[in-house]
Amino acid sequence: MEVFFPRTLAELWPLKAANPESAVMAGGTDLLVRLRKTGERPPAIIALERLAELRRMSIEGGGLRIGAAVTIGELAASEIVRDALPALWQAAAALGSPPVRHGATVGGNMCTASPAGDTLPPLYVYGAAVAVAGAAGCRRLPIGDFILGPGRTSLAPGEIVTDIIVPLPTGGAFSAYYKVGKRRAMAIAVASLAVCIVRTADGAAGKVRLAWGSVGPTVISLPAVEAFLAGKRLAPDVLRQAGAMAAAAVLPIDDVRASAGYRRSLAGNLLLKLAALGDDEQEDGR
Amino acid sequence: MSQSDWRSNRPPAGGVQEIGRVAPRADAAAKVTGAERYAADYYPENYVWAGVKRAGVPHARIMGVDTASARALPGVVAVLTHKDIGGKNRLGIFEKDQPILADGVVRHCGDAVALAVAETKEALTAALAAIRVDCEPLAAVFAPEEALAAGAPIVHEGRGGGNLLLESEICFGKAREALAGCRHAVELTVELGWQEHAFLETQTGVAWQEADGSLTIVASTQTPFRDRLELAEALGLTLDRIRVTAPYLGGGFGGKDGVTVQGFLALAALHSGGRPVKIWYSREESILAGTKRHPATVTYRLGCDADGVFQALDCRLVFDTGAYASLGTEVFALALEHAGGPYRIANVAVHGKIVYTNNPVAGAFRGFGVPQAAAGIEQAVDELARVAGFDPLAMRRKNAVGCGDTTPTGVVIGRPAGLAECLAQVERHPLWRERQTWREGAPPFKRRGVGVAAVYHGMGFGPAVADYANAKLELTAEGRITVCAGVADMGQGNATTCLQIVSHALGQPYGDMELVLPDTARTLPSASSSASRTTFTYGNALIGAAGVLRERILARGALLLSFQLLAPVNAAEVDLLPGRIYHAPSGRSVPLKVIAGFMDAAERTATYSYTCPVNRQAIPTGGNLRLHGYPHRIFSYAVKLARVEVDTLTGEARVCDFLSCVEAGRVLNPQLYEQQLHGGAAQGLGYALFEDFAVSGGEIATGDLATYILPTALDVPDMETVSVAVSEDEGPFGMKGVGEVVIDGVLPAVANAVAEAAGVRVTKGTLTAEKILAALRAGGREATR
Repeated sequence: MEVFFPRTLAELWPLKAANPESAVMAGGTDLLVRLRKTGERPPAIIALERLAELRRMSIEGGGLRIGAAVTIGELAASEIVRDALPALWQAAAALGSPPVRHGATVGGNMCTASPAGDTLPPLYVYGAAVAVAGAAGCRRLPIGDFILGPGRTSLAPGEIVTDIIVPLPTGGAFSAYYKVGKRRAMAIAVASLAVCIVRTADGAAGKVRLAWGSVGPTVISLPAVEAFLAGKRLAPDVLRQAGAMAAAAVLPIDDVRASAGYRRSLAGNLLLKLAALGDDEQEDGR
Repeated sequence: MSQSDWRSNRPPAGGVQEIGRVAPRADAAAKVTGAERYAADYYPENYVWAGVKRAGVPHARIMGVDTASARALPGVVAVLTHKDIGGKNRLGIFEKDQPILADGVVRHCGDAVALAVAETKEALTAALAAIRVDCEPLAAVFAPEEALAAGAPIVHEGRGGGNLLLESEICFGKAREALAGCRHAVELTVELGWQEHAFLETQTGVAWQEADGSLTIVASTQTPFRDRLELAEALGLTLDRIRVTAPYLGGGFGGKDGVTVQGFLALAALHSGGRPVKIWYSREESILAGTKRHPATVTYRLGCDADGVFQALDCRLVFDTGAYASLGTEVFALALEHAGGPYRIANVAVHGKIVYTNNPVAGAFRGFGVPQAAAGIEQAVDELARVAGFDPLAMRRKNAVGCGDTTPTGVVIGRPAGLAECLAQVERHPLWRERQTWREGAPPFKRRGVGVAAVYHGMGFGPAVADYANAKLELTAEGRITVCAGVADMGQGNATTCLQIVSHALGQPYGDMELVLPDTARTLPSASSSASRTTFTYGNALIGAAGVLRERILARGALLLSFQLLAPVNAAEVDLLPGRIYHAPSGRSVPLKVIAGFMDAAERTATYSYTCPVNRQAIPTGGNLRLHGYPHRIFSYAVKLARVEVDTLTGEARVCDFLSCVEAGRVLNPQLYEQQLHGGAAQGLGYALFEDFAVSGGEIATGDLATYILPTALDVPDMETVSVAVSEDEGPFGMKGVGEVVIDGVLPAVANAVAEAAGVRVTKGTLTAEKILAALRAGGREATR
């Protein structure tokens, strides 16, 4: 098996064209596990880790542009991500373990398109866009259009993800990522919830974005629940009602990690994590 | 291959190591630098790979195994079936029921059907894929009650007793009548799942034929001497034709107590055209083929009087041994012996069955049946305390056994017993004393509980099987001391303890000592690294050998001095000091090297044989358990405390604090002792909360470490330990075994804490977040602040 390490995108495209059956590898934390498990042996691997163009993070026009080959560890170590995108930062810190985070990348988590991918629910609630490029040019699409199903994306043959563009929430927004795994590290999410809430002056929730992981074929957004919470104070009773709506709406499955019923319960209960937010507001108001 | 090429006996650095002090681990530097060679690290020159074709079905008749196409593949050296085995093709301790390679019937998915030997791993994979096994499926059984039903498929056809491997009863007084008369009584059924050993080093080894055709096997094994006996019989070889050596193991925990890969290695090496063979299971194969902790269902009825004094116990324990007996009957016997916990109960009925099924094979695992028994009795005790309105720790104190008392299963405790002291220590400990404040400090949507469990653990093999050790020491021609450690060190550190004992007994520094790890050609026959008996038995033998060597050195030294002084010298006036002897009246010293030169090789070698005393008590009940280890003579004791915080939204349980208070005699090396307490507690927390081994229709659903969830460093709290060092004078320097009592009772301590937090007890298997959330819901506490 040949392994290529292109250093520029200009070097990459001819390699991809010459090796149409090749596998693209960023960190390898998903790909190598899959190859070992299935016995698949692609004729070549094209590694993206030395592409400087894919390893940058920069603020551009009110958003954070994250190169697809930026590692999860780099995200977890980034002050900008910590301060401006706390849900993404928490998700990065909750993904795998230090060695996994050292290899795994944002673009890889995106392209694996697992409903359990930790960075995905935060990227949904922040309204991230995915920049895709191929020999013929670039395009940009919302994350919800990029991910089509479990392990399925709208990436065309010959294309790769180059960047994730994450709009920075306005000041005063609260965002967080809640994950339930089977242990505190090295755990695939049994269920997760990302939230991003812009609060109104009177302490109620203004704009609410929610995204659940591991309770459906892809990350799940429930606009009806968001609309229900918008404008309300996040008191436990309100959150319980929203939780019941969410539990009824998600589409979880049974697997070796958990039953669908448990995942459904979590989808609802995780909203009550926001009750602490209501407490803060009450205290602020006093 | 020269001996020095594959031996591991680097001398450790350091001075004289005294008993009771922290002696540095002899293996630490070599292990952390990667220099130490585990069995997995052996790659003999010109070696070939061996690998196993697994059945993949739980129960089937083998109609034929077609090896021709596999043999024809490039790079394939041999493809072997049971027909290539010269001996009985049966492994086992009491019940010799397990073939090396299946001969006629497949009894579980991991059964070995054929063995391939190939030049490379790729060729091996291709060969294994090309072996065709023609199987006729048989009806299978996956639960003990199914297996015992009339007309059930029989796992071992033609065996008297059918699927019932062993049934037994231990009865005293009138349990059922007494229960009916109890002021308070509870009933509780607890289901326990499998537990995977999950050692870092999967089953592995290398083997080759020597020039004379005899076999040398380097294996990751707890039992080199017993392996040799088993292999000789199974393969039809004489003992002198097999040599087994055991380098440091990368973990064992009972999963390498007996033959794992050694039969395959031996068979492959006999058919590899004289080339060395290597085998090394993948993690998936390790989980598929390896033994596990026995799943069990235990039903307890326990009653007390108005004062909280236990009056009656009636319990039933049903164990699933899977397809083969392995050490199942011994595990079962120890579980039954400990079924009533470390308490005084006069009216007792303990009934048990261990049953064959077509599930994965269960066998020895640290704790050896006691974790399952403790899970039953210690939760029953808590339930009884709750129902009767007693403090759970006070109730345990009230009923605890001490020296001179009789255990529920009739064993008179004739040796020092520190349980009452352990309970008193825990009662005084801040983690217990301040529990109410801690519980009340739970953050929103969390509930907190504090649980305890008391346990004891019989040490050694019991009355029927000799618990023996033969130690060997050598004063080398250079005046150094060679310590032969005849019992495998699977990571617990007993090789270091061997050096420490000899260093202390002979007053010689670490730096002048060498260690020989277990090797049937160089160390003397000694029983296994198991049963909390390793250091107890081998240590006693080593002390004896050190005494013999000391006397010889002093006698020869006195003789040498008398030539120098031209006067008789009394050996009693000669002291053994580091590197020399010293004669105070004359002020003269003689280096050990000089004395060694004055002795012949036979004199320089000291051996000593020690066999543990056993409990010869005549017990009128449980007679068929005697052969399997009942009753024991010496017990270690412990109390475990867990503080657990439960998330009412998710059911997640976090162990915030864990305390192990252990009485295992005097402590030889406080650091190794504490490592045992930490490791046992962590493994017990895995058993309690994380390691939810799933099997369906005989197939393992958690076949890798992505799905079989071991706790990580983030899941295990900082742990506190308290040692109650009561001297056991039969043990070396007053010690008793500590390796297993440290895991016993962790599960019920956690379960008792979770029950307090959740309001409803989780009694079915691993306490996963999912089950705890269901308990919270049943108790009306789900999503409550």
